[in-house]
Amino acid sequence: MLSPYGLDIIESCLTCKMRTDHIFCDLPTSALQAFENIKYATAYPKGAVLFVEGQAPRGIFVLCKGRVKLSICATDGKTLILKIAEPGEVLGLSATVSGKPYELTAETIDPCQVNFIKREDFLRFLKEHAEACFKVAEQLSEKYNNACHEVRALGLSHSAGEKLAKLLLDWSSKNGEATKQEPRLKLALTHEEIAQMIGTSRETVTRLFADLKKRQIVQTKGSTLLIRNKAALKVMASNN
Amino acid sequence: MESAIQPSCFDCALRPDRLFCDLPADALEAFDSIKSLIPYPRATVLFREGSMARGIFVLCEGRVKLSVCSESGKHLTLRIAGPGEVLGLSASLSGGPYEVTAETVDNARVAVVKRKDLLQFLREHREACLQVVSLLSQDLHTAYDRVRSIGLGRSRRSRTSRVH
Repeated sequence: MLSPYGLDIIESCLTCKMRTDHIFCDLPTSALQAFENIKYATAYPKGAVLFVEGQAPRGIFVLCKGRVKLSICATDGKTLILKIAEPGEVLGLSATVSGKPYELTAETIDPCQVNFIKREDFLRFLKEHAEACFKVAEQLSEKYNNACHEVRALGLSHSAGEKLAKLLLDWSSKNGEATKQEPRLKLALTHEEIAQMIGTSRETVTRLFADLKKRQIVQTKGSTLLIRNKAALKVMASNN
Repeated sequence: MESAIQPSCFDCALRPDRLFCDLPADALEAFDSIKSLIPYPRATVLFREGSMARGIFVLCEGRVKLSVCSESGKHLTLRIAGPGEVLGLSASLSGGPYEVTAETVDNARVAVVKRKDLLQFLREHREACLQVVSLLSQDLHTAYDRVRSIGLGRSRRSRTSRVH
């Protein structure tokens, strides 16, 4: 079947198989039907910018497929990656609700399907569907939790080594790998991007990885990372 | 000195100036019935980071310090919350643990609402739910500002007074 970027575009929310897995999407039928009428389903390639920090909010972007990198930029060009958004997340939510400029820059790191909703349509939708309003509140809460987590990680961690260890442990606890003795994770980001996530330099990240491999704490095969010594990584993550 | 805070929200002179408090009459009446107005002396911990959210704390009077803590005991103050703010909102909505520790820095008067009552209240009063969404997005903007300043140093894009 032909489609842009190899994406199998989900046309209707009503028949979407992943609907019940995602907080925002799991709306009652009447709300979902209204949502269908105001959304625009679009496909983006890897490396596409959905919106930039400081831009006036056009609307929300519901991520259906693929992942998006969310980052903050300083005036001197230094970038901090806040998180990698997964399917089900609503991007540009706080800006669309408040009318303030987008807080983050959103760039796709995979081919993505995104459902875009114009700001005025979305605000009207919220006024008319209380359940959707509640879901939005839940999503915002989750983002707030994440931002606080980020503040903790950045503000309280001493060293880059500590932050990297925390990040690897975080990533390794996804996709059912959490309980494994030796969890496996796919490195979706470059050393430069990881450096931007933990607020350090690319050279430091490369040096840290080399060190982790030398001490047999991790092992890499292509873009897959295997954590050999979870305990040692945990010690690194809580070092003061 | 006589406190401006009255037992009933309807009698509160400060109400129209406060985002959360400026609700339509029926919602306000419902809110009056689910809240408990409690005085807290200075240096009281309202809730601790990591403990499961029991409910929200509407700061009627006084200020509260919000902070996070590392395993080794190192503290980081996020900001000082002022009167009119609603604390513990995101945790109460998501049902997770409080993200921060909240400690009063003045003698405070706080309207406490249990989580279960809050959720029902929001489901029944759409206007209040919209207010909450506004509040949360403001909280989020503030949090992002903090991420920006901590993660990138002092260089901010714009110095608008979004932080209380």
